[in-house]
Amino acid sequence: MDISEQALRVLVAQADEQHRAGMESLPNDIRALHGETRRLRPVLSRGTDQRRLLRTAGIGTAAVVIGSQLLPIAGFLPRAMAADDAGIAAFAQSVELTAVAAYTAAASSGLITTKAVLAAATAFAGHHTEHAAAFGAAAGKSATNKLNKILLDALSPSLGAATTENDVLKIAYDLENAAAATYLFALGALTTQAALQLTASILPIEAQHAVVLGQVIGADAATMLPPFETETAFVDPAKFPVG
Amino acid sequence: MNHDHIRREARASQAEHDAALPLFRNALTRLFDRDSRSEAETSSLLLGGLTRRSLFHIGGVSLAGAALLAACGSDAKSATTSAVATTAGGVATVSATVPATMAVPALSSDVVILRTASSIEELAVAAYQIAIDSGLVTTGAVADAAKLFQSQHMEHSQLFQAATKQAGGSPFTTANPAVLKALQPTIAGLKDEQGILMLALDLELAAAQTYQSNVGMVTDLALNKALMSVGGVEARHAAVLAGVLGQNPVPLSFGGATKVIAAGTGV
Repeated sequence: MDISEQALRVLVAQADEQHRAGMESLPNDIRALHGETRRLRPVLSRGTDQRRLLRTAGIGTAAVVIGSQLLPIAGFLPRAMAADDAGIAAFAQSVELTAVAAYTAAASSGLITTKAVLAAATAFAGHHTEHAAAFGAAAGKSATNKLNKILLDALSPSLGAATTENDVLKIAYDLENAAAATYLFALGALTTQAALQLTASILPIEAQHAVVLGQVIGADAATMLPPFETETAFVDPAKFPVG
Repeated sequence: MNHDHIRREARASQAEHDAALPLFRNALTRLFDRDSRSEAETSSLLLGGLTRRSLFHIGGVSLAGAALLAACGSDAKSATTSAVATTAGGVATVSATVPATMAVPALSSDVVILRTASSIEELAVAAYQIAIDSGLVTTGAVADAAKLFQSQHMEHSQLFQAATKQAGGSPFTTANPAVLKALQPTIAGLKDEQGILMLALDLELAAAQTYQSNVGMVTDLALNKALMSVGGVEARHAAVLAGVLGQNPVPLSFGGATKVIAAGTGV
């Protein structure tokens, strides 16, 4: 994808502003990120069920906007993640298949009229298909091979209400950032090297998808070029369970 | 928005950045405050009972090279590894064999990984400075992007240095000497903005791939997230740079491993 000097200049200026603002909250954000991991690990190692995880971690909620749809997210990993790698992989697979469905819906909506954008959307859908297959393999018997219906239901009103190419791409952009955030979150819960490596190999691709889409829609640099990846927008498996 | 305005903004941003770093460092020292679990428990959780030496063997294979084994105190007295310096697009490929410095055997794998990580970040900072000072960057927005990315690499370096201290090691605070040496011919041959962009893209990809490859190799589990909180950003930088160069910003469906800098290289 090509980017004009003007677009890049605007992007940089936005990122500068975001950088200044972010320096104040960053330490707290990262401290929270690592604190969640430390709280979770001993709990998971005891094979604690999800209800106990809820009690142990407490309830923290926030919200993320995917498209125009406000999605609830959790502030604490224990509430969100299944207690084993296979379950987490199965959830990730469902998120990937939902992304494929979202791109398919976007492509068939007739709203994407720019040829290059349509090509990118098709390519990204293909990446997500591959990601889903990989997570499915990692999930083994836990894999459902189905999209996350609750997540798709949450996205559907936004997709249905989209009237422009930008509307559709904004939904995809938020979904990509949410996927990256979800996998960062998952890295604090996974235990096997294979699952960790797989997730780590997919996170940067979602982040790059987001950059491309963000450039097309003129997204805010704070979400497109952050100084660090965060979990802020992660999709909560407790709210969007597999199956 | 004119160039002067952007530059004033960038300078102001840098001043804020400098002022914020002490606070940032203090916060980081608390970040990696380990919980009460023992090292054995952590290893067991992560490795399923494998010993640390086994981990290095597995990592040595998957992380491309013998450097990790050497750096982590194997019986080998020295080792070499291929430095990561392959220019994107195959236009000006640089691939050199560099010595992997022997590390003190007592160093933990986390310390080796973190020292390598901060050395890569410092290398990126230095490379962007070379670009800024070279006079070859003629597009104002590209220069401003270079400064932004450089400032983010400084933050990344601070994170890894703080984590190194927390892990009981001595932070590596300068550009990775082995990779920098391997890159010297490329740097010396830079003659235009495109060359600068390609070098930057190469370094961003190397950083992203290196951190990705380190995931699952650390004993402090919190570091998995720390590594990719940075690795994802490097991948974003790479996508921007690739776009400016007219290359596919997302050429792969999974993060690559062709430019991984083996832990221990140069540190």
